[in-house]
Amino acid sequence: MLEIEGLISGYGKGASVLKGIDLKAAKGDRLAIMGRNGMGKTLLAKTIMGLVRPSAGKVKFDGIDITGQHAHSVSNMGMAYVPQGREIFGDFTVLENLRMGVIGKPGLTLDLDRIYGWFPILKERERQRAGTMSGGQMQQLAIGRALIGRPKLLLLDEPSEGIQPSIVHEIAEKLRMICAEEGLTVIVIEQNFDMVEILAERVAFIENGKITGEVPVVQLAADPDLITRHMGL
Amino acid sequence: MSGFLPLALDALNYTSVLLLVSIGLVIVFGMMQVINLAHGEFFLVGAYAVLVLQGLGVPFWLTLPLAFAAGGLLGLVCDAAILRFIYHRPADTILATWGLSLAIRQAIVIIFGPSSQQVVAPLTEPVNVFGISYSSYRLAIIAIAIAVAAVVFAVLYKTAFGLAARAAMANRPMAQCLGINTRRLDRVTFSLGAALAGFSGAVMAPLMSVDPQMGMGFVLPAFLSILVGGVGSPAGAIWGSVVIGGSTTAAASIWTPVIAQIIVFSLSIAIIRFLPAGLSGLRRK
Repeated sequence: MLEIEGLISGYGKGASVLKGIDLKAAKGDRLAIMGRNGMGKTLLAKTIMGLVRPSAGKVKFDGIDITGQHAHSVSNMGMAYVPQGREIFGDFTVLENLRMGVIGKPGLTLDLDRIYGWFPILKERERQRAGTMSGGQMQQLAIGRALIGRPKLLLLDEPSEGIQPSIVHEIAEKLRMICAEEGLTVIVIEQNFDMVEILAERVAFIENGKITGEVPVVQLAADPDLITRHMGL
Repeated sequence: MSGFLPLALDALNYTSVLLLVSIGLVIVFGMMQVINLAHGEFFLVGAYAVLVLQGLGVPFWLTLPLAFAAGGLLGLVCDAAILRFIYHRPADTILATWGLSLAIRQAIVIIFGPSSQQVVAPLTEPVNVFGISYSSYRLAIIAIAIAVAAVVFAVLYKTAFGLAARAAMANRPMAQCLGINTRRLDRVTFSLGAALAGFSGAVMAPLMSVDPQMGMGFVLPAFLSILVGGVGSPAGAIWGSVVIGGSTTAAASIWTPVIAQIIVFSLSIAIIRFLPAGLSGLRRK
């Protein structure tokens, strides 16, 4: 589904933060990427999505080379992005935010019932200005907006950030259920192990712009030292 | 009351004119972060379009949509030939649109000459408004400005294009990540801004002499209007036009137009100083 080879990328010319990332995710995989702050996790997401142009390397999505493609093309190929900080349109209503998930994609209809089935709070708040909701509700909206576009791959960047632990747990469980129902491939960038443990099957560690190891989540749960070693926590 | 009503109508008329000119500016600036210094020249193209079309025997009211189309078409050409290469460098777009404004104005001087010309007003008989006699065409401009603003707002707030445009205005990278082709949106937006400027020029043409400098007198107060109203919101054009149009007319009626300019500039600076996001920023607070 997603193949990344020797990806080198950075903000600005000549400054490489990612120094040769190799990563693979097959269809239906649920992969987490963990790493300390400043290791290039968000940059990796932005480079995959086409918001940052890599200086070298390849990104293949569903067998097609998408390296350097514009974000709107990548999105239309079936990749959905839930960025760090959620980036919902705060002045728009919940419904308008959800509409944004489909208007750029020809042939898709606004299947609200499907999203409201997973996140009933969005139905209740349909007419509310999205910027006035709580962090957890905004995160559900950001995920709903991504899913309404019927993606093949869901790319989430720090979905637990700024959300209370009980809600993190709930969102993780919900995402896991949706992935199973839809056969969705998920790549989640996360520092919160609770989210990773519920949602992902394996974890790749990123350090200084490179993938330093991959382990199944069960192994990580059984041996917390692994996290300490890879993340220096 | 007899002194207030003409003043109120004049203020409303000037506000309407500013709204017509600034609505295109605010869309282009708000969405693309392009300070379009050629806006006055698109206005000019619209006015000259009326001049040419009237010369060909086209009725005035029919020249308005054609002037809209002429402005839009020229905007499309400018986007394709120049602006699309530099949209990501906002400072350069200022220089490019300034150059464009000089080129368009000079082209008009070469084709039509530097002297002023007149177009025939479609409505000349004054009408009675609550006991006072007022220009019927000026009243028509108020109605046209309200109608244009209503249509532009309906497009922005009721259509998928408008939703995508507002999303790109609010968060461009996120709009792209949701599949919005912002490049195509830029082209449509810039052309729409130019078309609205052309339309404004056509509407204003019967009220003034049509000459190569006519756009400049409107563009500066229109820029001021969008700064005061708030560049991040299309509704800002309304609030800004009301403040600039209203205060200019009121101050000019009491003192001289020069003192009115000083007052309006001072008021604008004070508003921008205390509300950097303009008047529309108040709602978001």
